[in-house]
Amino acid sequence: MEFDWSQEDIEHRREIREFLREELPDNWDEISQHGPGGDSQAAFSRLFCGRMAEKGWLTQHWPGEYGGRDCEPWRHSIVGEEMWAVGEPRGSQYMNVNWIGPAIMHFGSEEQKRYHLPRISAGDVLWCQGFSEPEAGSDLAALRTAAEKVGDGEDAKYVINGSKIWTSYCNHADFIFLLVRTDPRSSRTRGISVLLVPMNTPGIEVREIPSVVGERYFHEVFFTDVTVPASVLLGEEHKGWEVVTYALQFERIGAARYARAAVTLDHLAEVARERGLLDDPIIVDRLGEARALCEAARLLVYKVIDLRAKGRPPTADTQLARVLSTHCDNAIGRLALEVFGPESREYASFADTNFRLAMTAGVAVGATEVQLNLIATRFLELPRE
Amino acid sequence: MDFELNEEQQAVMEAVERLMEQQAGPARAIELNAAGHYDRQLHSALDEAGFSDIARDLAVDDKLAGLEAALVVEALARAGAVVSGAARIMVLPAVHAEPVNGPLALCTRAELRERTPVRFGAHAEHLLVLDENNVRLVALGPDDLEPVRTSFGYPMGRVADGNALEADGAGQFLGAEAVQPLRDWWRLSLAVEAVGTMEAALDHTVEYLKQRRQFGRPIGSFQAIQHRLSLCAIALEASRWLAREAAWHGARPEAAAAAAAFALDAADQLFTETHQMSGAIGFTHEFDLHVWSMRLLALRQELDGVGGARRALVQARWGTGAQ
Repeated sequence: MEFDWSQEDIEHRREIREFLREELPDNWDEISQHGPGGDSQAAFSRLFCGRMAEKGWLTQHWPGEYGGRDCEPWRHSIVGEEMWAVGEPRGSQYMNVNWIGPAIMHFGSEEQKRYHLPRISAGDVLWCQGFSEPEAGSDLAALRTAAEKVGDGEDAKYVINGSKIWTSYCNHADFIFLLVRTDPRSSRTRGISVLLVPMNTPGIEVREIPSVVGERYFHEVFFTDVTVPASVLLGEEHKGWEVVTYALQFERIGAARYARAAVTLDHLAEVARERGLLDDPIIVDRLGEARALCEAARLLVYKVIDLRAKGRPPTADTQLARVLSTHCDNAIGRLALEVFGPESREYASFADTNFRLAMTAGVAVGATEVQLNLIATRFLELPRE
Repeated sequence: MDFELNEEQQAVMEAVERLMEQQAGPARAIELNAAGHYDRQLHSALDEAGFSDIARDLAVDDKLAGLEAALVVEALARAGAVVSGAARIMVLPAVHAEPVNGPLALCTRAELRERTPVRFGAHAEHLLVLDENNVRLVALGPDDLEPVRTSFGYPMGRVADGNALEADGAGQFLGAEAVQPLRDWWRLSLAVEAVGTMEAALDHTVEYLKQRRQFGRPIGSFQAIQHRLSLCAIALEASRWLAREAAWHGARPEAAAAAAAFALDAADQLFTETHQMSGAIGFTHEFDLHVWSMRLLALRQELDGVGGARRALVQARWGTGAQ
């Protein structure tokens, strides 16, 4: 047991910071004010990820045979921390490199790997995830969007009907990682499949759901007789639950929320000092509490990365890390409102933006309560009903 | 970066756990607490087995083996050991070149002056006194000490004539340079003790809630209980890794304060939840929970507790606010 970064890792963090200083434009704050799903940030991500790809950093944690550099997960976590700390200039492409690419490597056909992986590692393709449905939120296994297989052999196709909801990033996405029910007689986790569907396929319609979180944050995606070749199936038919379980282990701690929260908190402390608020014992107490929370979340995430670096199977440590990261994000979002006070009333002010982007943390990628259920049964081994 | 024990650490942990199994545990703690005694037998066993000076023995160059010392203290706390292990194993080596014999108590100068009860104050042969500008190591005789009855799980006592001792300038002054290390290691040791203590309290509660049936099912199967236990587990695990990382980095002020701020806050949550969920039996002497739970509240009293740790953290991180 030891907690030092290697010299190479320290050097890499320095390189990444320098790269960010050079690559982020002067108006980055404006570009990033709507988060990774905003129009400007999505457009910027294509340029930025292309530059990262040129440096060989975008997918450096991938195996060499898929264009990576076989770097340890620790190296990729440094990239994640530094990217989230400045507001994630990779936009939604952090998902591509964190879990969509790895899921394709693990379950994909040779053709799928050949087609998708070079595009992802070049940094010029945007994905979204089609999981939640109006009747399948936390209870994902209740999903109903249907894909009916028609035809045989090379002519076989899927015809998709149904809808997805809360979908982020889909207004810019080139592909959707789509969870569908391929066996109409099945229920729950059986009979589900994953399809990799181009978003420009006729019959797909995207509608924004206006929300208090921000512009282009939530969408509904409607599928009406969307017909795709059967070759878009990822992994085995009817066994998509296995794919999604594998993928979500990467996704749940994919976003280094604690790193973003820690940078926001440093700024809040600076503002508090300028305004003389550090004479207020309550503010000092809240700042101390928040800083400890950022560090706590970081360490629980590191615990998961350590398991991954050693090639261990995923454990409920992922859920522990996820819940605390969520608390951290929320706590600092709320603290921003207190430190800035009435100034935060203005839309897109520092506190407002941070608060809005933090407020969904406890619901995204599986509600906190679902994570707590998993911790109870898997980590504490408490009896089910 | 490696979150698993290496071979040497593994060997240390196995040895200390074995010793705890043989000589410590809740029954022993209950027996000693009832009589107001200190576990001299375990104290000697720790010395003989080399655990008391492990920070120096396993030091690499000038870097004390803070993490290994912390792992031992965590194990002592889990076992409810009635020894001044944290002070001797984690704190003293950071400020004093030599080990001292016998029980060691930690206190602030104000606590000494005001005759505030301190942990192990009824048995200490040495007292390490933290002042703003100096640290003093004082040898004590049995006549100097006065036991104090307490609800909070550790033998407590005060220096009978603390005011005179405070004024007479006796003992060894360790200098201004010892002040910050003492504060940081003491603060970190509270976090480490809280971790071991919380772990035992939570384990005990979880086991009970798996067995105890009401409304025709184990209490631990109710979601209202499960979610709260899951939150306790998160608070515990985060405290554990904060404390261990801080120990590895030599109790740097920011890391030590962060660990204490988080762990001592978690200690309140664990106390409240484990008692609430254990029901009436949880308050009784026959149920072991109190061995650990009451101690959690004592740990929260030292060095200004959570508030003190948060102030120290703000000071260390952003260079402002008061200690």
